[in-house]
Amino acid sequence: MPERGATMPERGATMREGPLGGDAMIGARTRLVPDGRGADTVGVLAVGGQLPDFELLDHAGNRRQLSQLVGGDPTVVQFYRGWWCPKEQTFFRRLLALQDDAEVAYSRILSVSVDTPEVNAAFRAGLGARWTFLSDPDREVQTQLRLRETTDTLHDPYVPAIVVIDPELRIHTAYNGYWYWGRPAHEELVIDLRELSRALRPDWEAPTP
Amino acid sequence: MSRCWLALVEGPVEGADASARASTLDGQEVGTLAAWRQQAKPVRNALRVDERMIDSEGPPARISLVLAPPGVRLPFDDLAVQHARRLVLSRPQFDAVSTLLRDDSHFEGAITVERSPADKQRLREDPFARIFPGRLLALDAGILGSLGASTGPTIERYGSGNPWPWDRFSCSASRGAR
Repeated sequence: MPERGATMPERGATMREGPLGGDAMIGARTRLVPDGRGADTVGVLAVGGQLPDFELLDHAGNRRQLSQLVGGDPTVVQFYRGWWCPKEQTFFRRLLALQDDAEVAYSRILSVSVDTPEVNAAFRAGLGARWTFLSDPDREVQTQLRLRETTDTLHDPYVPAIVVIDPELRIHTAYNGYWYWGRPAHEELVIDLRELSRALRPDWEAPTP
Repeated sequence: MSRCWLALVEGPVEGADASARASTLDGQEVGTLAAWRQQAKPVRNALRVDERMIDSEGPPARISLVLAPPGVRLPFDDLAVQHARRLVLSRPQFDAVSTLLRDDSHFEGAITVERSPADKQRLREDPFARIFPGRLLALDAGILGSLGASTGPTIERYGSGNPWPWDRFSCSASRGAR
């Protein structure tokens, strides 16, 4: 089961109507991600869309703006249910493995949940994560992004979703993590970050004599 | 990033963009911590610092100032320096942190800023003070601001000439990066 008390996701749930309209999203998939990798739609998140430049509290209680956190680097943004979810605990181990690459590869990671900064700080420390965790306890950004997991009325968490974005906050790939196997593999995230880095770095082709 | 230099100076300070009296935590004056935003090195012992932490209107602070002993240098890529950067990212954040360097390839110190009431013990655990000797100092107002924590998990410098944690390439090209 994807979630405590959850119902099965509707067939074709990743095709739900979004702000761009279903057909437009399908078109974007075909156009931008020909192999279908990371071409899901979750809430308003879809390939070719753009994250709003939201502000949330980080794990230390400081107000942080998304664009400042992203800076000039490709960034993995993970929306997750909460520390209590076994699937999140498992997926975080995948992100921890990615951390060892990202720390030397000019790429960033952000994790967003409805947990408070205090909870996020403890969870982050326990994991050994060295990236920023953001808190949305009032669920303002969750509402804006239409990412409330309606099947969990106990926690009202984020529906799990992972997007890889560029410095303009444009969504390069989007993964629907409601079912665990919908989440990106380590290799898929590496490919996403490589594609974005290749597009971003003007000196991608190594200077040689 | 433009060049910004930092130095603890015993005598009078000339031409600094920001400066403040520095003393030990028990009140013994040790000199003036000064910062210069300029290309040329202003005084012999000046080291480059992340310019975002310099604020001429910054409030008083306590700092951990780690400096390499005279004649000693360590490659910036040394495993000990790498791990100290990881520890900075993994632990509760300080008000500001910057490594200090003179050239493009060596680590020659670090400065860590804290202002919270419980900061003394945290400053004693400065990861960079495991590499070179550190001093805990109290600073008057007028030189150091706050610097939002790095997004993480990057421990590399954005261009070898820039101190960590300066977090973006200064122009469209990512020169010096891999």
